[in-house]
Amino acid sequence: MSSLVGRSVGSLKNVPIKPIMSANPTEARRRVLTLYKQWYRAVPKIITTFKLPYTKERLQNRIREEFLKNSHIRDVRAIDMLVIKGEMDLQETLLKWKQECHMKELFQHETAIRQPTDFLGKFFSQK
Amino acid sequence: MLGFLRQAVTKTVQQSLRSFHATCVAHSGAKFTHVDTPENNSDIPFDFTPENYKRIDAIMANYPEGHKVAAMMPILDVAQRQHGWLPLSAMNKVADILQVPSMRVYEVATFYTMYNRSPVGKYHLQLCTTTPCMLCGSDDILKTIQDKLGIKVGETTKDKMFTLNEVECLGACVNAPMIQINDMYYEDLKPSDMEEILDDLIAGRAPKPGPRYVVITILQLDYNVSQSEGIAILWFKKCGTKILWLYTRLNSL
Amino acid sequence: MLRSALHKVGPIVNLPGRFSRYSCVKICQRNQSTDNRIEVFVNDQSVWVEPGTTVLQACEIAGIQIPRFCYHDRLSVAGNCRMCLVEIERSPKPQASCAMPVMKGMRIKPDSDVSKKAREGVMEFLLANHPLDCPICDQGGECDLQDQSMMYGSDRSRFLEHKRAVEDKNIGPLVKTIMTRCIQCTRCVRFADEIAGVSELGTTGRGNDMQIGTYVEKMFKSELSGNIIDICPVGALTSKPYAFTARPWETRKTESIDVMDAVGSNIIVSTRAGDVLRILPRLHEDINEEWISDKTRFACDGLKRQRLTQPMMRNREGKLAMCSWEDALPIVAEKMVNTKAEEMSAVVGGFADAETLTCLKDLLNRYDSEGLCTEELFITDGAGTDLRSNYLLNTSIAGIEEADLVLLVGTNPRFEAPLLNARIRKAWVHNELDVAAIGSKVDLTYSYQHLGDSTETLKQIADGSHPFCKRLSEASRPMVIVGSEVFKRDDATGIHAAVATIAQNARLRSQKGGQDDWKVLNVLHKVASQVAALDLGYKPGIDHIRKNPPKLLILLGADGGAVNKEDLPKDCFIVYIGTHGDHSAPFADVILPSAAYTEKTATFVNTEGRAQQSQTAVSPPGFAREDWKIIRALSEIMGSPLPYDDLDGVRARMSEFSPNLTKYDAVEDANYFNQAVQLARLAKPSLLNQPLQSSQLSLADFYMTDPITRASTTMSKCVRAANEDLPPDL
Repeated sequence: MSSLVGRSVGSLKNVPIKPIMSANPTEARRRVLTLYKQWYRAVPKIITTFKLPYTKERLQNRIREEFLKNSHIRDVRAIDMLVIKGEMDLQETLLKWKQECHMKELFQHETAIRQPTDFLGKFFSQK
Repeated sequence: MLGFLRQAVTKTVQQSLRSFHATCVAHSGAKFTHVDTPENNSDIPFDFTPENYKRIDAIMANYPEGHKVAAMMPILDVAQRQHGWLPLSAMNKVADILQVPSMRVYEVATFYTMYNRSPVGKYHLQLCTTTPCMLCGSDDILKTIQDKLGIKVGETTKDKMFTLNEVECLGACVNAPMIQINDMYYEDLKPSDMEEILDDLIAGRAPKPGPRYVVITILQLDYNVSQSEGIAILWFKKCGTKILWLYTRLNSL
Repeated sequence: MLRSALHKVGPIVNLPGRFSRYSCVKICQRNQSTDNRIEVFVNDQSVWVEPGTTVLQACEIAGIQIPRFCYHDRLSVAGNCRMCLVEIERSPKPQASCAMPVMKGMRIKPDSDVSKKAREGVMEFLLANHPLDCPICDQGGECDLQDQSMMYGSDRSRFLEHKRAVEDKNIGPLVKTIMTRCIQCTRCVRFADEIAGVSELGTTGRGNDMQIGTYVEKMFKSELSGNIIDICPVGALTSKPYAFTARPWETRKTESIDVMDAVGSNIIVSTRAGDVLRILPRLHEDINEEWISDKTRFACDGLKRQRLTQPMMRNREGKLAMCSWEDALPIVAEKMVNTKAEEMSAVVGGFADAETLTCLKDLLNRYDSEGLCTEELFITDGAGTDLRSNYLLNTSIAGIEEADLVLLVGTNPRFEAPLLNARIRKAWVHNELDVAAIGSKVDLTYSYQHLGDSTETLKQIADGSHPFCKRLSEASRPMVIVGSEVFKRDDATGIHAAVATIAQNARLRSQKGGQDDWKVLNVLHKVASQVAALDLGYKPGIDHIRKNPPKLLILLGADGGAVNKEDLPKDCFIVYIGTHGDHSAPFADVILPSAAYTEKTATFVNTEGRAQQSQTAVSPPGFAREDWKIIRALSEIMGSPLPYDDLDGVRARMSEFSPNLTKYDAVEDANYFNQAVQLARLAKPSLLNQPLQSSQLSLADFYMTDPITRASTTMSKCVRAANEDLPPDL
């Protein structure tokens, strides 16, 4: 669903699809990189603002992970959408609309207790 | 022992509560639950006399098979006459005889005020204080009894001779005020009559029941007593009934 | 067109064709004869009803609810509360609709101004002597008086006088009385008289002084006494153990099944914050109607006491010590794997559900063990448990109402199955049912012909030489009910065979009389698990473990006292799976805590063979787990997991064993009576010369019979009150 740009789907064949921001993949890539740099540079400020117990490198790596998570996306419109969301997220972070806990959620997967899924595990751990 | 305490406590509580009431309490004051006392508990044996068993058989014979329960009220009366009042064990006995749950007998015995579920004296004074009797002076009669016997309404004299109760209309308004002593009516009472009756009872004499006076109302216009009335008056005199002559102006009627 | 559509809409028929010794007005079956119905008009809407229907019932058929206090469907009509007054056209005064039969063309106006004014007036009189203590009244929130005064009462009071006050009565440890609140509807008196059959309640005094009570202070000695709490429309009779506990809107209600006896009464479990607060009856016309026994209702406090909340094991000193599931299960698993199949056994108690029974059977069968026994006994010779008809209450509980003669053998249904006894009493009252009994002479709340307690009588009835046989042959729909207690005897087979013969003869006679599918033989079980266990092929009784002393014994809630430490070999490893630290847990080597009936969704089959589901109302306490899951976990640790790990899976397996176990609320006919009798003859049954006796003779024997009731404080108070005949603290 997310890759409508440049793809011909059924009756939409040959119908030009209106871009969101970027006209072509190169432009989209530039936007992503810009966003990434913005985040990257904001890391020290984020750490001090939210009094996060992480090092600069650790948070940077985590942000990088988030970007890489979407690295497979080739659809220009989808990339644009994600960039917009990323910008909103950055704004929310820098203006402190977020709280400490929201930032820590980034590392939640490291500390979360995994619930057992097998019968015996469930039997021992819960009712 | 506990029963005693409870009774005492409930009594005091009831009395103290009673004093809060602004308006008069609309119930008879009799208790509708049983409280065990030394003279009234289920352990006291009760049995009918052989004569009374005969009476009970006769009463039961009045009712068709399947409806013998209807004999409950007369049999309760037999029990009350035998014992003077109606103890718990007598009710249980009646339930036994009629083969009904004892609760059914309790229901009947508590419903009717003439079953005395607590001990009464040898003479049960039931003074009518309903409107006609009250208008004709039952309050004076009440005062006479209270003064003479030193008991209040609902109480029994120490020698267990007299119990005084106020009752509602006994249907003898024509000769108000009146009192029922055991089974007998004494009518047309004046305080002096009441004293006389009580004196008789104390002395062991049987006072004459019925109206104390024959009230003969003579209209002023007609001083002549007719022949039949004259015979009646003679008969009353022969019986020793006092005649209260009452002269009334016609126009006052 | 409209008319025909209307009279097809009938009420739920709850009193089909029954005569009444009381003035109980019967609701007639509307689809019977259509000829004699009469037309009445409710609010100008035409309704066709049977003659004899009351105005109130006619209004109900028309969909209009008339307010009432004294009227109750299952009790005789008293007509003393006057709340149901309605205006009827051309009647000078409003009529009490509960006691007024309909007449042809009657125009009833339940919503007219006259009716409304009449209700308002009655309400005002009722409230004149009713205390204003709703904030501290336990009935608050479920009070008919409260609701109806909101619906039908006036919005202001004109009452300036003082109110009457009535002394509270002490009628035992179950029912709390606040008699000032009583409105003298006499529902409790009628319930005691007509349904419980214990005429200890009544009205004393008259007029303003009238009060409900026992007159003499005593306990209301009935096994159904709790029901007067439900039928009391005000807060005069409330539950003593539940006093000041919760408001109805705070509690969560779970519809479940009772396991205190084999009747399987339908119940509602009221819970709050993981606590079972009280148990109320749920309507099931074929089982408990709307009543439940006191044990069902009040034993729930036993679910909180003496509970096993954590697995336990014997430590080095040989004492039981708390441990974790991870510690306990491998030890059991290891023992099981290393025990020979013939030295492995399991005994199941009275509260075991069908799911657990299925798992346990699968587990032991997997290791080639056949040592599956129930604690409760039954016969094994003859047809034994092979034919379902041999061990069921074949006539069904509702079927008692169609019977015309009941013969009880070695049972006291009043305490073994109070609701069944209430059904017999109902039939005895309304249908002129005759009852005869062989066994202990006990008070059953109805009169019956006592045929003695010797087995000789049974034999004579079986061979037709007893005078009672004449009565039996006259009956067109006789029933024979044999209590499960007789199976404890050495001559159980003989008794069952004799009973089966009597039943078979009677059945053939009734078939000749045109009653084609009438069943006569009935077995009344005492515990909730027995029928499911027999359906699943468990061996009744612990003969098997007597003959093959086990090295490893699993006790699944077997607290009935059949298994004792002394009877087992010294080296026997005992695993106890159960809820309470009762009879068997103390001598177990490993204790695995499990869930009680309010804590699991499980299947129980009642004595009729009707499968029903209990629902999880609260979670099991502490580390306790659902029973079947314990067995499933054990199987996995043993290295060969059972092939199902959710409830649906277990139930699928369960229906492979016996499809009826998952056909909820259905009673399947069991019909091999001829074959059962033939098989019984092969066993060459004999009878011993011991009298047939019940172990539950008086009310005090009723209350404490199983781990839950033995742990219940309320039940122990009841036993004390019933024994000493002394009303305990108010």
